Amino acid sequence: MSTCMCVVQEGQISAQTEEALRNDLVAFASQHFGYVPQFNWIVVGKGNGFTAAQPSNSVIVSMPADRKLPLSEREPLLRELGDIWINRSGLTGNEVVTVITDPPA
Amino acid sequence: MPLYICNAKAGAVPENAKAKIAEDVTRIHCEVTDAPPTFVHVFHFADGPMPPLGDKQVMLYGQIRHGRTDDQKAEIVSQMQASVVEHTGLAPEAVHVFTTDTPASWVMEGGDILPEPGEEDEWLERHNAKNHAKAK
Repeated sequence: MSTCMCVVQEGQISAQTEEALRNDLVAFASQHFGYVPQFNWIVVGKGNGFTAAQPSNSVIVSMPADRKLPLSEREPLLRELGDIWINRSGLTGNEVVTVITDPPA
Repeated sequence: MPLYICNAKAGAVPENAKAKIAEDVTRIHCEVTDAPPTFVHVFHFADGPMPPLGDKQVMLYGQIRHGRTDDQKAEIVSQMQASVVEHTGLAPEAVHVFTTDTPASWVMEGGDILPEPGEEDEWLERHNAKNHAKAK
């Protein structure tokens, strides 16, 4: 089972937005990789997240592809994944880190 | 990226040490690798699932961009372990630090694929110019 890991800061994403994001991410993974992901939704407690040594507003979203991707294919998928978060959460692009890994060997 | 996850037994990292450790981790990573501080994320967890603590009080795990030398990685591990020991008062053997490599091309921040190690300055220049143009 493939897992989508979402690391968010406490108080950053409402329950309603989280549900919408999960639905969007299921649709994304289903469309591009042919699987429905399990979620590892991790909330960083207040005072526990730092970016550039300052309190963090960053989210990290990581999921595996179903195949090895060339950059020409990976880059637009990373952008689409980031846009999902920007559009749903209202975060800026600089606050969203997206990772699409190759499948485990 | 890098993403550093500091998982500790509850109470092992005092609240007032978390920002200091994050500051040290950021500084050490940037000094050793020349990466910009804005790339460095440090997240603390107490009794979190990842990385497993085993018999350690603190596990500090860094997911860093592929391409760092073995000497750089050893320096990162050594200096960061010393920082955690200093700020927690734990014995060195209670603190474990390790890193894994992730290809830069697998990661996007701020709408741009991350640069390969050594290409950060040009990347930041392009990235900031793009953001500046968007803001106009």
